[in-house]
Amino acid sequence: MRKVGGAHRGVDMWLVQRASAVYMACFIPAFLVLAWGRMPLDYAAWRGLFAPLAMKLAMLLFVFSLLVHAWVGLREIFIDYLHVLVLRLGLYFAFWTMYAACLAWTVDILWGMH
Amino acid sequence: MQPKRPFFLNLLVFRQPIGAVASILHRASGALLSLAVPALLYAWMLSLRSAEDFARLSAWLDGGPGRFLILAGGWALGHHFLAGLRHLGFDLGWGETRQAARRSAWLSLGLGLLIPALMALSLWT
Repeated sequence: MRKVGGAHRGVDMWLVQRASAVYMACFIPAFLVLAWGRMPLDYAAWRGLFAPLAMKLAMLLFVFSLLVHAWVGLREIFIDYLHVLVLRLGLYFAFWTMYAACLAWTVDILWGMH
Repeated sequence: MQPKRPFFLNLLVFRQPIGAVASILHRASGALLSLAVPALLYAWMLSLRSAEDFARLSAWLDGGPGRFLILAGGWALGHHFLAGLRHLGFDLGWGETRQAARRSAWLSLGLGLLIPALMALSLWT
């Protein structure tokens, strides 16, 4: 049986970490090239960058990948260094909640622009 | 019972192989980036909210603490990105010989430092 808070979900986590990494590794250079093309980046050009729906969706997917990737990475660190189960679960929960809020915040930032 | 052996584990005296240095810095930079996420979202929100907030943020980022954070972030993201590509390569079976792995470890560390160096150059010239 899997132990609560344990390290026995390795394969799922490994795959999630790779998939999110690959998406970000493609998105970041593409984004930098697009932003570079709008230099000098003043306020109007910067907002214009996030105006198309395709960019909003790509950006949302990027932040989602980032949050998932960060959570899996932190989880790994907690498993390695934090051997008090209550503390480890507490931190899982704290970061999970914080990152869920970050995702909602991202939706608000992207679709709240007018 | 384990046989009694001499025990020496002073991490400050150990000389780590270069792969271990690249690996621990991959972890450290990842932890820093993970903790920076809410601050980055906050800055991103300000940058898109109004022309005044955009100007305020730009001015702050151009100051001492802002520039330091930009360089630290450039290093953390750069090294994490490159060391991450290195790990993805290992997953595909690329560069697994000792020489190749040592070379790519040096490369991730060196290019990881080159990124903030170039950023500093463009900030101060």
